[in-house]
Amino acid sequence: MKKILALLLAGCMAFALCACGTPAEPAENTDGDNAEASGDTVVIGVFEPLSGDNGAGGKQEALGMQYANSVAPTVDIGGKTYNVKLEIVDNESSTDKAVSAANSLISKGASVVLGTYGSSVAIAASDTFAQAGVPAIGVTCTNPQITEGNDHYFRICFLDPFQGTVLANFAKENLNAEKVYCLGQLGNDYDQGLVNYFKQAAEELGMTCEVASFPENNSDFSSYLTSAKNFGADVIFAPTSISYAQLIVDQAVAQGVGVPLLAADTWDSNKILGAAQGKDIEIYVSTFYAEGGDPEFEKGFKEWIKADSNNLTNNGGDDIIAAVSVMGYDAYFTALEALKAAGSIDSKAVMAALPNVTHSGVSGDIAFGENGDAVRDTAFIKKANVNDNVWDFVTVQSVKK
Amino acid sequence: MGKKLKSTMAPEKKIGSLIAVVLLVVLYVFLFLLDNAMPVNSTTTMLIPVLKKGAIYALVCVSMNLLNGFTGLFSLGQAGFMLIGAYAFAIFSIPAAQHNSVYQYFEGGAIQFSIPEALSNALGQNAGNFLGSIICIIIAGLVAAVFAALIGIPVLRLKSDYLAIATLGFAEIIRAIFQWNGLGKITNGSNLLRKYTNFHDIKIQVGGTIFQLDTIFPFLIATLSIMIIVLLVNSSYGRAFKSIRDDEVAAEAMGINLFKHKMLAFVISSFFAGVGGALLAMFQTTIQAAPFRSTMTYEILLIVVIGGIGSITGSCIGSFLYIACSEWWLRFLDSGSFLGMSVPFFRDGFRKVVFSVIIMIIVLFFSRGIMGDKELSFSGMLRKARKRKEAKAAKLAASTNGKEDGSHE
Repeated sequence: MKKILALLLAGCMAFALCACGTPAEPAENTDGDNAEASGDTVVIGVFEPLSGDNGAGGKQEALGMQYANSVAPTVDIGGKTYNVKLEIVDNESSTDKAVSAANSLISKGASVVLGTYGSSVAIAASDTFAQAGVPAIGVTCTNPQITEGNDHYFRICFLDPFQGTVLANFAKENLNAEKVYCLGQLGNDYDQGLVNYFKQAAEELGMTCEVASFPENNSDFSSYLTSAKNFGADVIFAPTSISYAQLIVDQAVAQGVGVPLLAADTWDSNKILGAAQGKDIEIYVSTFYAEGGDPEFEKGFKEWIKADSNNLTNNGGDDIIAAVSVMGYDAYFTALEALKAAGSIDSKAVMAALPNVTHSGVSGDIAFGENGDAVRDTAFIKKANVNDNVWDFVTVQSVKK
Repeated sequence: MGKKLKSTMAPEKKIGSLIAVVLLVVLYVFLFLLDNAMPVNSTTTMLIPVLKKGAIYALVCVSMNLLNGFTGLFSLGQAGFMLIGAYAFAIFSIPAAQHNSVYQYFEGGAIQFSIPEALSNALGQNAGNFLGSIICIIIAGLVAAVFAALIGIPVLRLKSDYLAIATLGFAEIIRAIFQWNGLGKITNGSNLLRKYTNFHDIKIQVGGTIFQLDTIFPFLIATLSIMIIVLLVNSSYGRAFKSIRDDEVAAEAMGINLFKHKMLAFVISSFFAGVGGALLAMFQTTIQAAPFRSTMTYEILLIVVIGGIGSITGSCIGSFLYIACSEWWLRFLDSGSFLGMSVPFFRDGFRKVVFSVIIMIIVLFFSRGIMGDKELSFSGMLRKARKRKEAKAAKLAASTNGKEDGSHE
């Protein structure tokens, strides 16, 4: 009797958990599933973190791909029309789950893989894709090691050395900074890499930098902000992941640090806007796309987001377009171009075709150069508008040689 | 009576171990075919990584079981020792040519040689990689054991909860040290180590054909290690460990040196955790300190509990089941559809909900785990079957006797 009761309780709890996780109205079927009805499908793997540290960014990136899939659900390959099926697999933002997540995409027959948000997980999965002969297109992973020496990994965004240099130039030219306090997470290769490149470029430009790292799961940044103040920093450079960024913004306001915060593509998120809303703080980010670049795309994307509460939740609760979504959208169409160019859904043919693929995307023209990296020489700088809860376009920054 | 039992037990033991050996051979033949002959399809692409990771986790869980289950030391430092092993393996097996690209922020790193590469130059690629990785795995275990010996001196004087806290803290400290940029020339700081020897590089050349040993290799190392642990547990040291677990005071009164035996168990367990870490590094093809947080230790502890504290076969069965569920079988729960139907519940993260409910049920209703503290043994099964048969016969005889007795009276 006791056992039955406990079993019932466990069942109730499970049900309650499900109920919490699901919106009141039934979620729409993912568009890819419709394709199952007819015969010919080509599978595009979506390798994104949907949970863990990078869950928020990964979901937004996947949203861009899902929207693209709803815009263009079919593709003509070698004179035949195929339905495109997106297989989304969660890699949990963790390098130790990357291998099996990548394998599950391969087992689902992915012709090409898109992703992932978070460079270290991309590097961790790279060998698995290489062994299976499946090409991958990095969407917003900026670490140079991803494509270096790999024939199968391509990338449509700029790289960390470029981004670090761009931000250093911006700090010097537009913010007139002399001293910069750099803050990154210990154990996160993205933060540490970017800080490293920023520091190199900044010192070449004659600025002085102080570098600090905070441990994982840290939630009190007051000591770091105090030491930034004591250092006499003109700018605080903190290219952290979104979850820490929100805390840093809050505490910087509370302490009244009074200097601008500078960050990279991870901070280009509506979560940061939410944290900064109505507060006295300046936040600048470098990113892949500035809102207003393609009104038609934006209109369609916003409508699509609003039409489905599930998508709205994944986008962080509102319809502000994250640059990673735009990049996800472009990556999907780049993959379609590659499939067309290959003339087959065989992953090896796609890999052979990819280096010569070009695509005029929403975020700009995409072509693969050396190492399979996209040829990009500009980044957008945006500033958080704390009154209207939007990003204001500041400038297009390129590197001064 | 005892003499009689012994004489009847012997053939069962023989048959039992024969069955076990035959099954092991069958398993290895299957693994060999899986690596070399099986067609690549959706099942095998998932089966292979699950088997590899399952074998690695089995080793790590058994090593934890040696401490927690057999010696009664509640230690939570397993992830820390695995981290040490994984890094030791990776650092000594990154080819010299790759150093500049791996240690890109640290001027190519401090250690400029690779054991598999050096052996490859001397013995040829395949033999070099095979032997080199075995040597690196042993080094990984030894480095972890040395750290264990150092940390054991202060920590093993603590008991129960305090020991757990101290070892957990040690694992976290190790992780932070490995991420520290000051050691970047060796550990690469927060960045990944990669391009070292992995399972795919393990091949063997027989005549003119090259055979892949992708999946066999982790099984081989894990089987050997687990066998060593089994031998240890069944030796006089093992009996001493168990007596410490059951009652420390009594064990000491019997003349067992508590500290020495605890240290022995701790160091050996850490050695095999280090070996497991090295295998995990080979499996993942990249290694970073970040995932070796306390949740990894809890994962391992959970498998030990599910399998049965104090049961080696339980730990093995538990780890294969756990890995298969978490990495493979339950993934469909995230996919949004089931058997072609769209199910609104089935979306990102639902897998984890179901998984936790399953674990909750196991912990609530099978609190002693799958195996309890018993072992899966074929001779045991045969013995049980014979005893049941004998009991039945005895009962039958008793009832007929009874009848006969009744008729007499």
